[in-house]
Amino acid sequence: MTTARDTIVDALDIESFILCESEKEAKELIGKLMQSLGLPRFVIVSLDFNGPGAHFRVRAYMNKPGDNYTWLQ
Amino acid sequence: MMKILLAPLDPVHDAGLKLIKRKLEALGYPCVLLPPDITVEEIGEAAIAEKVDMIFVGRTVGYGVEQLFRRVRHVLTVQGVFDKVRVAIGGMAVTDELAKSLGFEAGYGPHTKIEEIHAMIEKNPELARHITHPVKNKPKFPFPHDNTVKNSTTKNLLDEIVDGILDWTADKSSPGVVRAHITESQLQDVKGSVESYTALPFTRDYLAQCDESVVDFFQKNICPPSVRQITQKEVDAYINRIDIAKRNFHPRVLRHGREKPLVFVQYGTGCPMMDGMHIKVAESWGADGVLHFDPAWGARTEGLMDGFLTNAEDGTPVTYANLSLIRRSLDAATLWTVRAHRGLNTPEIAVLSGFLGADMTKINIVYGSICGGTDPARLTVDGVDAIRTATRYNMPFDIPTNEELAGVPPHKAFAGMLIMAQLGRRLGAQPILKPLLCHGPYIMVNELMEQNYVDYNFAKIRALQALADFPIWPGEPIGFMTHTEEKEQSATTTALHAAMCSTLGVDAITTASTDEAFSRGPITADGRVGSLRAMEEAFRFFGETDVAPTKKADEWRDDIIAGINRTLEAVTEAPSFVDALYQGILGDKADGVYPGRAGKNSVVTAPKPKAVGRWDVTPAIVRKKPVLTVKAVTPGVLPARRRR
Repeated sequence: MTTARDTIVDALDIESFILCESEKEAKELIGKLMQSLGLPRFVIVSLDFNGPGAHFRVRAYMNKPGDNYTWLQ
Repeated sequence: MMKILLAPLDPVHDAGLKLIKRKLEALGYPCVLLPPDITVEEIGEAAIAEKVDMIFVGRTVGYGVEQLFRRVRHVLTVQGVFDKVRVAIGGMAVTDELAKSLGFEAGYGPHTKIEEIHAMIEKNPELARHITHPVKNKPKFPFPHDNTVKNSTTKNLLDEIVDGILDWTADKSSPGVVRAHITESQLQDVKGSVESYTALPFTRDYLAQCDESVVDFFQKNICPPSVRQITQKEVDAYINRIDIAKRNFHPRVLRHGREKPLVFVQYGTGCPMMDGMHIKVAESWGADGVLHFDPAWGARTEGLMDGFLTNAEDGTPVTYANLSLIRRSLDAATLWTVRAHRGLNTPEIAVLSGFLGADMTKINIVYGSICGGTDPARLTVDGVDAIRTATRYNMPFDIPTNEELAGVPPHKAFAGMLIMAQLGRRLGAQPILKPLLCHGPYIMVNELMEQNYVDYNFAKIRALQALADFPIWPGEPIGFMTHTEEKEQSATTTALHAAMCSTLGVDAITTASTDEAFSRGPITADGRVGSLRAMEEAFRFFGETDVAPTKKADEWRDDIIAGINRTLEAVTEAPSFVDALYQGILGDKADGVYPGRAGKNSVVTAPKPKAVGRWDVTPAIVRKKPVLTVKAVTPGVLPARRRR
């Protein structure tokens, strides 16, 4: 059965602002966030820390070129 | 004409209803616009008093909109209006689905066109067909130009260099040229049929001109490490997906008031099916054309593989089947370019592209030789042959100058580009100049963009426009090395470069996705949407307004022109164009480039070309009839060709 997740062409990006005190802490929090969302394989695309926290975009690839794409199953 | 009542259910006037009133009156409809801050009851009373035929109720504020319109219907029904007068609604949170679920005739959200409302009033969908079912025709590209070099000094130097290139290559051939002619002969025999071509028995003549990895592919079915064959089941499912996308496709035009520039997107994710899906996304968000990028190893390997192949790394393998699958995915209005220019398969890729009806190809001997890793002598022979092929198949070819990314100064890169353009014209082809608008190493070191990104880019384009009248198509992509990994920044810099190109009057641009600077994973479809949307907004913002450079741009333009002519003069003083490439006159180690080695010592002496541009090489051996067609294959892949 096709799930909504199977229809993602390539990647799911999550963008938000996270409250933290350093870039290092931001990365740790993003890792925990992605784990909690069931997306343990992720890559941080961009991260900009300043003042209250970090503006970030994190990406979980669902289908990479060469894969057996979920949207063709 | 029907009389229409416009009723704003807002505390202040809804600009939308004022706009609708003006446009409906222009169409001849008498309208009554009620003041703001009225009650629902007053709408019905006004409708009765004014004896209107239709009511259009507007509500800008989205909060509680469903309850409010439910009440509108109730009150109008109680007043005896709803059953006698047609009622439609509109507003920020209104949809047609919501309106109809509440019993109204229609509902309109933001960005509704007056044609849609007109069609509803007249109950004639044809009045809005161009809005609801827009048609995008394939542009005639390149746009008209004289295709001449205007500066006499530059022209004389270019002509001398081109004479030398044609003399030097006249009696030379290469494995790439031989393969191209074998392939062309085979494709002519099967009239370009993908199934028949793929089922053809493979020839020893072809394999004799290939590297071991290609021979292994055909004889032992061994793919390169990151490559696998795509199954027929995958192809069928993919085509189904593409057909769904085509059914739901509504063309979009990014430009606002100007004919140029057309917008191209480069693809080459590694997989023709992922490429195809990205192409559908790009088309749907307004791209006018797409460019095929092959993997780097493909350029350094003698010979092409065959069948449907996917690559887990950057660059989609060029095979006739892969290209045909991508062509199958394109909208009829989409321009298609296949990169041939820089490697050992340049002539053969030009042949495949021509047979598949590609609109354009890409050939640059200079870039491929000093920056693409191919031996200058080899690529000069192959490049001339590929241009002849481009001419035969009526494919304009663009001439990229991405050697700037290595550090070659623009005047040297442009000198090489103009040599290619003049060579193309001499061979009857249509060249397209492709300067790179970038923040490249030469520009950084010389601090040419410390103050802004406008002046030096203006200088580059204005220099080319002053010297010659060829089509100009900045890429690939515009704004190279100005992008960061942040999506907003990346989209913005692409959009601003696009707006600048609009002022410069260039014919087309190639744009990045917002993943341009992101190197830890593949480009995403969403990233393509981000850049295209940003460009659309920039074109909307500037319209036909121009971006103005400072006086510095003129000074730099003159410097570039002088540098181009100095470089061309140096090329004429070299023993040959090929020697000039080896000597680094068009870019040397100090600039960050060096002559390529792939295909070194592979040039051979051969008969002169016939008048039509074909080499008189030994024809392909007589082949058996196709032994398999795609329909006969179960399950699986298009078969690799049979060996003999």
